[in-house]
Amino acid sequence: MADYNKPIPSPDPYVTKPFWDGAKEGKLMLPRCTSCNKVHWYPRMLCPFCHSSSIEWFEASGEGFIHTYAIQNRAFGAWGEETPYCLAYIDLKEGDRMVTALRGVDAENPTSIKIGAKVKIEFDQADEDTYVPYWRVVD
Amino acid sequence: MPSNPSMSAAIVAAAESDKIGYIEEGTTALMLHIEAIRNVCDAAGIKPSDIEGVFSPNNSVLLAEYLGIHPKYIDTTSVGGCSFQMHVHHALAAINAGIIDIAVVSHGESGYSNRKNGGKGGLRGGGGDPWVPSEQFGSSVYGAWGAPSHYSHALTRHMHEWGSTKEDFAQIAKVTRDWATLNPRAVMHSKETHPAGGPITVQDVLDSRMIVWPLNLLDICLVTDHGGAVLIASAEKARSFKTAPVWIAGAGESMSHQDIMEMGDFTATSAKASSESAYRMAGMGPSDMEMAMIYDSFTVTAGITAEMLGLTPRGEGPSLWADGKASPGGQFPVNTNGGGLSFSHSGMYGMMLLIESYRQLSGTAEDGIHGLPGKQTDAKSAIVNGTGGALSVTGTLVLTADV
Repeated sequence: MADYNKPIPSPDPYVTKPFWDGAKEGKLMLPRCTSCNKVHWYPRMLCPFCHSSSIEWFEASGEGFIHTYAIQNRAFGAWGEETPYCLAYIDLKEGDRMVTALRGVDAENPTSIKIGAKVKIEFDQADEDTYVPYWRVVD
Repeated sequence: MPSNPSMSAAIVAAAESDKIGYIEEGTTALMLHIEAIRNVCDAAGIKPSDIEGVFSPNNSVLLAEYLGIHPKYIDTTSVGGCSFQMHVHHALAAINAGIIDIAVVSHGESGYSNRKNGGKGGLRGGGGDPWVPSEQFGSSVYGAWGAPSHYSHALTRHMHEWGSTKEDFAQIAKVTRDWATLNPRAVMHSKETHPAGGPITVQDVLDSRMIVWPLNLLDICLVTDHGGAVLIASAEKARSFKTAPVWIAGAGESMSHQDIMEMGDFTATSAKASSESAYRMAGMGPSDMEMAMIYDSFTVTAGITAEMLGLTPRGEGPSLWADGKASPGGQFPVNTNGGGLSFSHSGMYGMMLLIESYRQLSGTAEDGIHGLPGKQTDAKSAIVNGTGGALSVTGTLVLTADV
């Protein structure tokens, strides 16, 4: 925790709280519409697919796949110390997509990173209450 | 029954600020706005007080106050680089509705001078609200720092899904640079205007510094100072100025997302929807277009947009620039000012698209300031697309010459 030197997101105490509470326990909590059964990300007050307001939260598998990625050859602040590193969009196994700084890849060799590769989530404790999600290639 | 606004208004004049590009003595966004508005009024032969509507992505009320005018239509739509295409759309609607007869669309942006002025004078809004979804869950959490961090993902996905290559997209930068060599005001016009100016090759693009793989430096637009303004007038008034009209045949706007984390298909933008609206309004289609001004914040922006505008098959956007078709002297000129890649790009490039389209279709694209021989094309119609945010929002216009 003490060594988390990146910008820390500021969770809102309303709509997104179940995600951040789950993150503290190392669980990926996702919102799902009880009307159309679709998972959406980011968390919303209503389903962006069918517009129902009946949203439930469930513990997801924490698994996903690389959708696309890019190598940050330059960055600023504490992220500047990490270059080059890989930013990636992750297709969640249960549906929809998250962004992450991807771990377990060789950012010096961009073409070695494969779209479709399997990834798993992990959480870094950033401060007392905030655990930031990261994804890691497990293939 | 509402009437089709097609051709109910025209762009009747276009002008830039006194200086554009790398303004070494410094400037501010407000100065650039006001210079451009003064210049466009002078060109058309009107006074600022003749303006009834003010459209700008900055504070249009501030512009009106500074000019000492009191417009009856005020629009501060601010959605990035395509804001100006939307302003034309909105002004067309307001004119067609009979609310106003003369509008100004204005741009002033001190992208270059901001660096030395610590951001002061940039007319920038405040910082992001930490509770909006993109601040909690978007790529800024992971160190994404600007447009290259976002657009790069689209190129990776395009190469994966459509089998395109970096060479395909680099060709766009090469052809665009060829146009810049015909525009003396382009930052990259020649070795005299910039040490790295003058013609480039595909290999030069591939060999340039890697910024965010797969985007090299020469896949990425400039960051300059730029001001510009166009006047829009009703059909009744359109021929009453010193300058000639270029008709707004079609206009459309759309969006797919605000933050790129919500972009469903990384190889497609809302330019498909906004261009379909514009073509429908105009009663025209891609095959009726004789040139294109396509937002080129990055080579990938232009390549994907060419597909969305219906100018190439899906997955083959860069082919629009192949075999000299889009080059000077080619059968379908594209980005004849040298583009955001090689002419000028202050952050929001949409005004430069409007000004160059106006010049091409009014036959004023090479009078010494606006271009060297060979820059003026014989196009009588143009598809003009703006893209804002992170491939987020688009505005598309179909413009036609006065005949």
